[in-house]
Amino acid sequence: MIKINEYIESGILETYVLGSASEAEVRELLYFKEKYPEVEQALFSLETDLERIALRMAVPPPPHVWYKIESEINELVTAPHADALTIKLPPGNSKGKEGKKNSQFLDVDASSSHMRIHKIWRLILIGLFVLGKIFLGFAIFFFLENRKLKEELQELKTELKVEKSVK
Amino acid sequence: MLKVDKQALLRDTHVDIRGIYNKYAGMLLGYIFEIVKDHDLAEEYLVRIFNDLNKQFSEVDWDDTNTWCQLLRFAKKVLAEYHMASRNCAPRSPAVLVVHNTRHENFNHLNDEQKKVFCDVYYNGKGITEISTELNQTEAVIRKTLKEAFAIIRKGD
Repeated sequence: MIKINEYIESGILETYVLGSASEAEVRELLYFKEKYPEVEQALFSLETDLERIALRMAVPPPPHVWYKIESEINELVTAPHADALTIKLPPGNSKGKEGKKNSQFLDVDASSSHMRIHKIWRLILIGLFVLGKIFLGFAIFFFLENRKLKEELQELKTELKVEKSVK
Repeated sequence: MLKVDKQALLRDTHVDIRGIYNKYAGMLLGYIFEIVKDHDLAEEYLVRIFNDLNKQFSEVDWDDTNTWCQLLRFAKKVLAEYHMASRNCAPRSPAVLVVHNTRHENFNHLNDEQKKVFCDVYYNGKGITEISTELNQTEAVIRKTLKEAFAIIRKGD
């Protein structure tokens, strides 16, 4: 059985944090991290300190550096091949809508259980909800009115019967 | 028709990249500068790292550990080619301890072997096995030396 303090003291955590651990060592360390809070705490402390060391030696980048990065990102966003990731349905299902190249589509990431949909759906769903409430209100109102009228009608019938019998 | 709106995903990534850049670009530039010792080259590598990060953003497990450590590991992969080129161009004698100079004052408290091990791992992207072969010591000893070096730097920080 492994002695966890010896493991922490072996220097393996430093090796991992500094990015020199082998894949097997990383797997083992992540397993121990899950299993032993001491390992998790020691790792957290190391990572925080490493960040602090890097912060002390930081060199603020000049503004043009971000512009360069941004221009490349924008190129990627506007590039025609960015549209290439399209789910092609069988021919019968396409109905000739391929020509519309805008973002008014449902987004589906096959590797995820989540779905990205257009924001317009939020308004539509809110509208449907409000409309549903209004209809429900009307239904209850007319139901009560109907019941009231029936009762009144019943009373009138009773009165008529009483008057006839008196005559 | 169902369609993956990759442009929307890229836009979201762009926002994340900007956030990471705002917080860590200075730290990363400082780190790269310690390696390449040239401002222009360091900036070029910074641009390249962030562009590569933008392309591979979804492949990085950001939940696994803290963001700076993930970014550092990613940067090391990009800088690996620089290390390869510099090693090929300037072969070193294994017997000589090539000590890295840094702006961090706590490095002065390390002995030569500790400096060598820490800088080889942190800045030069070398593995423990490679250093142990180079210094003719066991990997366990190298890890211990690395731990001691890191402890001294942390203590004085």
